[in-house]
Amino acid sequence: MTGKWGVGKLFRRFRRDFSSWSAWTLLLGMIIGIPVFTIAVSLFNGPGQMWGHVTQHLLDDYLINTIFLIIGCSLLTLLFGVSSAWFVSEYDFPGRRHLEWILILPLAIPAYITAYAYKGLFGYLGSIPILSRQAGIPFQGIDLMNLPGLVFVLSLALYPYVYVSTRVAFLRQAGRLKEVSLLMGLKPHQYFFRVALPLARPAIAAGLMLVLMEVLNDYGAAHYYGVNTFTTGIFRSWFSLEDPQTAIYLSAILVTIIFALLWAEKWQRRKKSYSLTAQFSTGNHRIRARGKTKAGIAGIVLIPVLFGFILPLGQLIYWGVITWTRVLDAQFFQMVLHSFGIALISALVTTLAALMLVYMPSWNRLQGIKPFARSATMGYAIPGAIIAIGILIPTLAADKFLIDFMNEYFSINTGLIINGTIAVLVYAYMVRFLTVAYNPVEAASLKIGKHLPESSRLLGSSRPGTLRKIELPLLKTGLVSAVALVFVDVLKELPMTLILKPYQVNTLAVKAYGYASDEMVAEAALPSLCIIVTCAIFIWYLNKLTGT
Amino acid sequence: MKSIIFFLAIALLAGCKGPSGDSGQKSGEASGGEVTVYTHRHYENDQKIFDRFEDSTGIKVNVVKAHADELIQRMIREGEHSPADVLTTVDAGRLVRARQEGLLQPIQSARLDSIIPSHLRNPKGYWFAFTKRARIIAYSKERVQPDALSTYEALTDERWDDRVLVRSSSHIYNQSLLASIIAHHDGDYARKWADGLVENFARQPRGHDSDQIKAIYADEGDVAIVNTYYLGKMLNSEDPQEVKAAKQVELFFPNQEGRGAHVNVSGAGVAKHAPNKENAKLFLEFLASKPIQENLSSSNYEHPVNPNAELPELLKSWGDFKEDTLQLSRLGELNKKAVMIFDKVGWK
Repeated sequence: MTGKWGVGKLFRRFRRDFSSWSAWTLLLGMIIGIPVFTIAVSLFNGPGQMWGHVTQHLLDDYLINTIFLIIGCSLLTLLFGVSSAWFVSEYDFPGRRHLEWILILPLAIPAYITAYAYKGLFGYLGSIPILSRQAGIPFQGIDLMNLPGLVFVLSLALYPYVYVSTRVAFLRQAGRLKEVSLLMGLKPHQYFFRVALPLARPAIAAGLMLVLMEVLNDYGAAHYYGVNTFTTGIFRSWFSLEDPQTAIYLSAILVTIIFALLWAEKWQRRKKSYSLTAQFSTGNHRIRARGKTKAGIAGIVLIPVLFGFILPLGQLIYWGVITWTRVLDAQFFQMVLHSFGIALISALVTTLAALMLVYMPSWNRLQGIKPFARSATMGYAIPGAIIAIGILIPTLAADKFLIDFMNEYFSINTGLIINGTIAVLVYAYMVRFLTVAYNPVEAASLKIGKHLPESSRLLGSSRPGTLRKIELPLLKTGLVSAVALVFVDVLKELPMTLILKPYQVNTLAVKAYGYASDEMVAEAALPSLCIIVTCAIFIWYLNKLTGT
Repeated sequence: MKSIIFFLAIALLAGCKGPSGDSGQKSGEASGGEVTVYTHRHYENDQKIFDRFEDSTGIKVNVVKAHADELIQRMIREGEHSPADVLTTVDAGRLVRARQEGLLQPIQSARLDSIIPSHLRNPKGYWFAFTKRARIIAYSKERVQPDALSTYEALTDERWDDRVLVRSSSHIYNQSLLASIIAHHDGDYARKWADGLVENFARQPRGHDSDQIKAIYADEGDVAIVNTYYLGKMLNSEDPQEVKAAKQVELFFPNQEGRGAHVNVSGAGVAKHAPNKENAKLFLEFLASKPIQENLSSSNYEHPVNPNAELPELLKSWGDFKEDTLQLSRLGELNKKAVMIFDKVGWK
């Protein structure tokens, strides 16, 4: 590929394959890529003067802890997420219909709030040791404030990512495959390991990717539990060592780790096709569990619900009851409304962008357009605070230009127009959470396969027409999952919101953080409970929507 | 569903006007105007202080709450178009950094100069402290005799092996404490001290200041380095367990024979490009006034900087103490050096 011949061929190929869809994809990707690009450009300023200090004293610790977190959280979230998804989609047992959506609810609790709640539950002064001491059992509590404890708490808060995408995969697996497998003499557990699990692998991997990105982005919980990770290191280099360049270098390593993980996920999927045509699907017939099996299954499924939701929720309710009179005032309702509205708008915008990024690249033949679209979703790998700075730099430059322009030509002092608006915040959420929407939409589109849309095209329908009439209805579950997941993430998001939010807007997460960081963890319970209740209602509604 | 979205969109549009949208809102009032406060303080009571300021002056207070580091980054980026009038932080170090970044402007106020002791403000008026937080030693009433305690330096003695509790070094309170030790001794001594303290740790640093006090109650260690006002908060907590834990410890103000106990501050300065400089000055003077100083110390258990302010009962019960009068700007200057020492001795 050198010389005139290579370039010429490349150019001719580009001319041949380039279409308006390529242009739209490239444009969307570039808009999304602005903050990352800004940060990447600043890498060229070289590492900061603290870089040597960080590599000498801190980097080993960051690497070891981060790798331990990746492995530990992968194992635990897979255990919780896949097992519960399997049992609720394959078996029928009392309470299953409710458990299906209750299993998603731990996502409603911000990971750092779960971490605080667990300190309140199992610490020496925690509710459970005190209750058991009152009952005469000398239980001194469990020390969770260490690396294994962090793995445990993060996994409980994040396993629903695996559960949600895996359950969708299991539910959409062709019923006839199961019939055939069982007729061929496979026992249910053999069917699980030999057929269902391998077929669900892309969905499981997609869910796991989300978990790991959240794990690597976590600051609050790791910081509180005293575990040094890359993310705490980024904050330390930036703010304590006063060296943003070193922070940007640390994030570059973090992003490299994420890319390695993403690549590994792509590699394991390779070129295998996991789509099954709808005609083989006969609907799902759940096995009615009886006797011991029933109790066993209910027990297994209840474990993540109990530890990931009921226990922390109980602790938060207790705190909420003893502090609500202090916390509740007229602003509270307004805050709920703001948080909910911003989250919903961001979720819809982000899902729309994800849908475009999944479909527009497949509508043109331009080489490298798919990896390009995929790479536009990498915002999730980058800590929120850094994305916020990546957005502030260009938007403030744009504002400055506008101010000068208006001053010069119209003699009007406009002040900052772009910054401090909801639009910038929504844009930031879109950049940050695009992966969250992209993965379920992509997984759902892989499930549809190519035959139906191809038939529609052969019958003369346009690509957007096919998308609207054929694929969109089939994508519904994936789209709804996407909206729900982004909604919950936005409602919980903190560092970006703190930096970019408009003055008058106060969100629940900001309020909860304010209390928690001021060592008023109990007071943080009420705003946290509002986040949880809002998300719970949302998740319940969406579940009803997808159920029918 | 559609109607919900529509309703929300309307509510949002009504509720979330940008910063430029509300500048004219209060212009009809007598003294009028507004002041925009960027603050790291997120105490419930602060809102009441803002309300009182609005009531007494008619000046509307816009509040942006975030971590001081993020606020400083934001002000750097906003440059001359920044809407910030006042920057409030919870430590001196960050005020010094904001000053070094050229984000603050000097204020000449005879009132502030007469109320606030000189070591608690920038000599040129770039920033002023409004509350003091002493970083002291909390000890177990059961297991520690107070006469065994003397100075920060003595906490590295062998007798405290496996008994010292303290939060992570990423917190500014610890960074300022070590900076003060560098200032009073030197870098080598400070490193030896930090090293010796790490040797004496009862456990790896974790949690907040109040978690160290709880750890004393749980018998994980016997002495903890904490800020006074956290003990005040715990004693007045809604959570009975926190009250119980706080009652098991007593305060000790170290270095009383020498330089005095280490004191950090919460303070504020007027932004370099403040659009409402006069209002900002009024606001700072308001913060230093006797009733507000009393309000601050009774609601948040911080020590007032105004010597005329009456102390609440709890602070009175802790007694008078000698405070380190090291010029606070030194803490900011030595902050980075302190962080690097923490990393070298493995204080997480």
